[in-house]
Amino acid sequence: MLEEKSDDTWILLTHQGLDVEAVADFLRHERAGGINMFLGTTRRWTRGMETVDLEYEAYESMAIEEIRRLTSEADRRWPIMKMVVHHRTGLVAVSQSSVLVGVSTPHRADAFDASRFLIDSLKETVPIWKRERYASGEVEWVQGSGSGGNERPV
Amino acid sequence: MIETSSTPVDAPTISIRILLFSVLREGIGRGDLEISIPPGSSATDLLDHLSKSYPVIESHRSIIRVAINQVYVDESAEVSHGDEVALITPVSGG
Repeated sequence: MLEEKSDDTWILLTHQGLDVEAVADFLRHERAGGINMFLGTTRRWTRGMETVDLEYEAYESMAIEEIRRLTSEADRRWPIMKMVVHHRTGLVAVSQSSVLVGVSTPHRADAFDASRFLIDSLKETVPIWKRERYASGEVEWVQGSGSGGNERPV
Repeated sequence: MIETSSTPVDAPTISIRILLFSVLREGIGRGDLEISIPPGSSATDLLDHLSKSYPVIESHRSIIRVAINQVYVDESAEVSHGDEVALITPVSGG
């Protein structure tokens, strides 16, 4: 487990399940009119193949650094009161959550936009990889389409 | 007299730790390597050197991004003694 928690930003890599209630409570703020949270979950079917589980591996120290960079960028671009990025490592079974990102902002449009930015950017640049185990017994490391580094979705 | 060039056995080298993940870690069978390379080497030189010894690095060469001390760098970046270098294949978090 690796964690960075300040008054307004909570970043976590954990082997355990993600605590949605704790995150929602963290995000509440008297100046926020909206909290937007996104949970990424393990999908059972992909291109006709059945998934049993996903296993996540992280370059933990850099993942925390890179997530911190993303939260700083989000903070520059939107009026964010509080922000959370939590990611699981290890096995994540079908329908379980691997990632939770959330923000609270004064108005809801910014909450949706900032939350979207965090998950889209995480998937492009944060050094975490998933290995998909199929019902057939086949196992494969998923190669993302992100190039990492400089390119980020606007 | 004809002299052939060769690398002197006492040429200075720098020591680098390379971190590996996902397909590269699985292909090589370990999560880290310690290697010695000439000072002033770039990330490109490093990848060239590793590609000669490790087929899985060779085959993934075009999609490997290099990170030095937890920051993505261009391949032209210089690698320094004691750097923590990571070979990052396309990420798939979330």
